[in-house]
Amino acid sequence: MNGWLVAATVVLGGGVGATLWGVATGPLRRRVVAQNLSTALACPGLLLLAQGYDRPAYVDLALVLALLGPVGTLVFARLLTDELADDPPRARGVTWAAAGLGAAVVVALCAAVGPSRAMAKLLLVGALLIGGNVVASRALSGGIAGVRGG
Amino acid sequence: MNPRTRLALVVVAGTGLAVLLVAACLRLPRFGGDSHPYGDRAVHTSLARHTANTVASVNFDQRAFDTLGEMTILFAAVVGCVVLLRQTRDEHRARPEPADVTPPVRRYALIVLPIALATGLYVIAHGQLSPGGGFQGGVVAATSLHLLYLGADYRALERVRPVGLYEVGDAVSAAAYVVTGLAGLIGGTAFLANTLLPYGTFNTLSSGGTVPLLNAAIGMEVACAVVVLLARFLDQAVEIVEESGK
Amino acid sequence: MADAVVVVTLLLVAGSATTAVVVRDPVRQALVLAVLGVVLAVLFTAVQAPDVALSQLAVGGALTPLLLLLAVRKVKRRKGRER
Repeated sequence: MNGWLVAATVVLGGGVGATLWGVATGPLRRRVVAQNLSTALACPGLLLLAQGYDRPAYVDLALVLALLGPVGTLVFARLLTDELADDPPRARGVTWAAAGLGAAVVVALCAAVGPSRAMAKLLLVGALLIGGNVVASRALSGGIAGVRGG
Repeated sequence: MNPRTRLALVVVAGTGLAVLLVAACLRLPRFGGDSHPYGDRAVHTSLARHTANTVASVNFDQRAFDTLGEMTILFAAVVGCVVLLRQTRDEHRARPEPADVTPPVRRYALIVLPIALATGLYVIAHGQLSPGGGFQGGVVAATSLHLLYLGADYRALERVRPVGLYEVGDAVSAAAYVVTGLAGLIGGTAFLANTLLPYGTFNTLSSGGTVPLLNAAIGMEVACAVVVLLARFLDQAVEIVEESGK
Repeated sequence: MADAVVVVTLLLVAGSATTAVVVRDPVRQALVLAVLGVVLAVLFTAVQAPDVALSQLAVGGALTPLLLLLAVRKVKRRKGRER
């Protein structure tokens, strides 16, 4: 059990555990934000696991999650427009906190692997993850409006 | 059968199942132990055939026939969906109006679409080397196209997605899998046997004999199947409306 | 101690799967299911099954919620017309 795995356990248990609570209770606006945050936190968790197990190939998992996680949130933003329009979610603070955690994890891992192709891949995952989750959060709080039959 | 006997039957059967399961679990090898008779043989065979990812070797070489069955299940499921969700006589199509998506979301969708598509193809192409393969990559590639619906509007998606073409692609790639299997038969060995092509250099894109070919066939089949499936669902949810009064 | 990740993710999977059953509204169920998919993928990674985890991510990430919500939308529209 090395430091990376301890960090992954903390991120998954604390972060993803909290989003599980958020998605299970409360009004719809809180649940969609929690769903967005669950991918924003599970992706750094996967990156830490890949480093902890010393398996660079596992970074592919984080890459796919960084791509499809925000797409999943866009699905909810797009198809729940009417339900969310009356009561739009406000989650600027937690979204940027999760983005900060993701950035910190990516920077720490980049420092660990050193300049190489693996580092470029990590930076790509980080950029996709943070950009995706910020945009998805924006889409939830009124980024998609006036869908009439589309 | 009255509710009481039914409940009694469920309790008896459930208890029996639970007892058997627990008994079986007690005899399982210990979690994380070091004796893996099947794993050792699978790894040995996959290394002998220069396939770095043992799971890909099991799926597309040692148990390629099972994968043919799984592919057929997906194919049949999609055909069933197409039949069930077709437009019936008392329904008509309504033109969906475009959604009003803010520029950042639209830009994100247009930037991520090509990246996701490339990632899907990368996952398919590297199936024999790293985690992934035809199924995973195919789903990612098919999902990426639908960013056009999420980030722009339905008509933009319809322009890049002639459903008929994807239906043909689905059938062609399913046939390609079978043809690759038959080629093994003509080559003098057995159906789907990995003896046709040279195994190549270990840990390169062209290694593993027929594994990359079968991976590509599955990737195309899954991508086309998912596109066709989602097209039917989108048709129903967005376009098709029943005649008023029905 | 090395199995701490496995234990934590197993608890998360058990929690989210139970929640998915307990929640009754299909839209909220879809949200819980999306989280369950991600957690399940992490569990598969923790027990060293990355191929399965990748399948789970690909299907559970966007495809399942999209299919579910499109079905919900169709049903709601039909109900709206009947009213």
